[in-house]
Order: sequence, then structure tokens, then C-alpha cells
Amino acid sequence: MSNTVEELNEKTVAELRGMCKKLEIPGMTKKRKDVIIDAIMAKSKPTKAASKSTSKKDVVAPCSVGKDTGHTAKLAKQAPVEPVTRAAFQMTSVMTKPSAKDGDKCSTAIQVSCGASSGEFPVCGKTVGAIAEFLREVLNVDRLAEGMVNGDKVEPSYVMKEGDNLEFLKPAGQKG
Amino acid sequence: MKVIIVGVGGIGTALMEPLCRFLQYSVKLPGDIEVSFVDGDIFEEKNKERQMFISIGNKATIKASEARRRFDKLIINPIAMYINESNVSEIIKEGSIVFICVDNHASRKLISDHARKLYDVVLISGGNEFVDGNVQIYMKKGGIELTPSITDYHPEISNPDDKSPEDMSCEELSESTPQLLFTNTTVANIMCWVFFAAIINRKDPVNFAEVYFDIDKMSVRPTLRKPLNK
Repeated sequence: MSNTVEELNEKTVAELRGMCKKLEIPGMTKKRKDVIIDAIMAKSKPTKAASKSTSKKDVVAPCSVGKDTGHTAKLAKQAPVEPVTRAAFQMTSVMTKPSAKDGDKCSTAIQVSCGASSGEFPVCGKTVGAIAEFLREVLNVDRLAEGMVNGDKVEPSYVMKEGDNLEFLKPAGQKG
Repeated sequence: MKVIIVGVGGIGTALMEPLCRFLQYSVKLPGDIEVSFVDGDIFEEKNKERQMFISIGNKATIKASEARRRFDKLIINPIAMYINESNVSEIIKEGSIVFICVDNHASRKLISDHARKLYDVVLISGGNEFVDGNVQIYMKKGGIELTPSITDYHPEISNPDDKSPEDMSCEELSESTPQLLFTNTTVANIMCWVFFAAIINRKDPVNFAEVYFDIDKMSVRPTLRKPLNK
């Protein structure tokens, strides 16, 4: 239902009022012909814009950043392309896992142990020194306990990464 | 097989019964099985709270006589002296399996340092505090260390701030830290687990180097560690 101003001018006022009724434009029963035509044109414009944007903007090329070079439009024509939706989105972290690839799942839970105590804690990205303080009561971590990550001794400033395993060395029992 | 139990206190007396029973009835080896008890200390009435013995006297001698009566197929030797620098090489020789049940890190370090000079040796070392403790295993086969030394990850053993009983004064010897019978018996049992898992039912490679336990938390946790010199 797209008409130009010229086409609308050729119609009678009664026909134009009929169109306003169909387009649900109120208050046109006593308006002049030019006002009615303007109202019909104004009502028609947003509808056309919306129908154009639906065809192109709903499908977004993955990782399309910056100026559209025409690649997006080409992808839009190539069906089927899965749109990126909130439900399908997986959090990835290249900061805590340098080897991470796009799409890898990331877990922030780290296995931490001290003596007979052990557990998984959300300490990915934290330093060994901060974790010692954080878990001192829970794991009975001695103030002088050294931290070992994946079997190697580390400094308190070491930042835990996904997949790391942290152990605080507990002194051996002395008595017998 | 040459088994040596160094230290016949809370852990050593608890270890004697299950270990000797297992060695006599469950271990089928072509040669003799020799078990030596090493301790220079004496049993006293006050020890009865945690230590199992039937008469007063030198711990090694009394325990050896008990074991000899009950386990007649084993060759039992008492060595009624504390282990020290001058006798360690006489007591711990090539091929020995040593259960370290002493109550001080100075003696653990002495035995560890000597064992590292040998070609084939196994050390199973236990120790405890009031409700928790640990057991370590050191294995050296054909001159190759298969597990870390017992001093590798334990600076408190490699640089001990205590003394061996021989170097202690009478006052120091009379001072005692409270201990729990159940903690001593748990260490002894875990030493038996380690012996069975690593020596008798051995799987290559040994997949643990130390076992921690905590009676209060009802937990036991084995750990795998690599020798530091590798």
C-alpha cells in the first residue's frame, strides 16, 4: 500500500478518508485534502523503513565490526545463517586462558588444596597470595606456606589461570 | 627383604603388629624377612596412654622380644640405640625398606640424607600433630629417584629446628607435646597402605609421594610430586 503524493492527489476526499480509516489515522473527517494526504504519507513512511530494516539487520555476520563492506548484505542473502542470540552465547576469557579459542568454555573454579583439605574455589584471575588470605581459615593455610601451581613452586604474585591446580604446602607432622 | 622400624613410640608400636603380621602371613618371598627395631628410649608408665608394650625397659628390645614370640618366621633384631651420624650407615644399608617413626625432624633429615647416597632404598616416613599428620615415601631404584626426597618439599625437615633425642637435655626430653592415640594409629595404618600400594602391589610409576590426613575433617588426601632435582 504505497502511494505517491501525485497518486493521492488524484483521489477524492472521500476516498482519502476511507484510506485514513484503513490506516487507523484518527481525526481526518473534517480535515482538508492536503492535510489528509500529508497524514497518509507520514503514516506510510515508518512502515516502509521498518520492512526494509527487518530483511537486513536481523542476520548479523559473526564478528562483524566497523564499516559494512557489503559482506553483511551478502551473508543476509545466504540462508541459513544462525543469528547470534543471547541463549547461544558462551563466555570466553582470553585473559585467564591465553590458549583459549573463540567458543571455548571458561571455568573460573580452581582446585586448591592444603594438607588433607581440598576443594574447588572461584579464584581464577586472583594471585596466590590473595588466595592464601581468602582461604586461610577454610583450608588451614599456614602464614608461611609456599604455593605450588601444577607441581611447581610459585611466587605469591602468580595469577591463577583456568586449569591450574594450586597446593599450599603443609608442614610435615613432627611427632610420633 | 630387610625392614627397619626407626622409632618405637606411638607410631612405631602401632605399626609393629599389622606390619609383622602382614610380612609373616601375606608376603611370599623366597628369602628371609628381617625386621629390625631401632630406638634408644625406654618404655615408662606414662607412655601407656598411647604406646602398646608389656614391660618396662628399652623400647627396641621389648618390642623385638614381643614380635619374636608372635611372628616366629620373621628374623627380628633389636637395635637399642638412637640413630645418629655414626651408626646410620651401619643400620640402613642397600635394599632396606625403612619405616621412619621418629618424633623429630633432625632424625628424619639424617636418614633422608643417608638414603640419598644409596643405590636402592625405600623410606616411608610418618609424623603427626594432635589430629592431623602425613606419610611420605621416598623410593630410589638403580640409583634413580622415583619420588621426591622427604626433605624436598619440607623446609622444616631439611632445616630442622629441633634435635635428635641424643642431643637433647634431660629437661628437653621430659617436655612432651600432647598427642592422640588415634592419630598415631592412623599414621601407622597409612604407612601400611603406602607400603602395600608402592612396594607389594606396585604399579609403575608410583602415583603418589605423600599422603595427608586430618581426623577432625575426616579426610585423607594423597599427592603426587616430582623430585626437585629432575
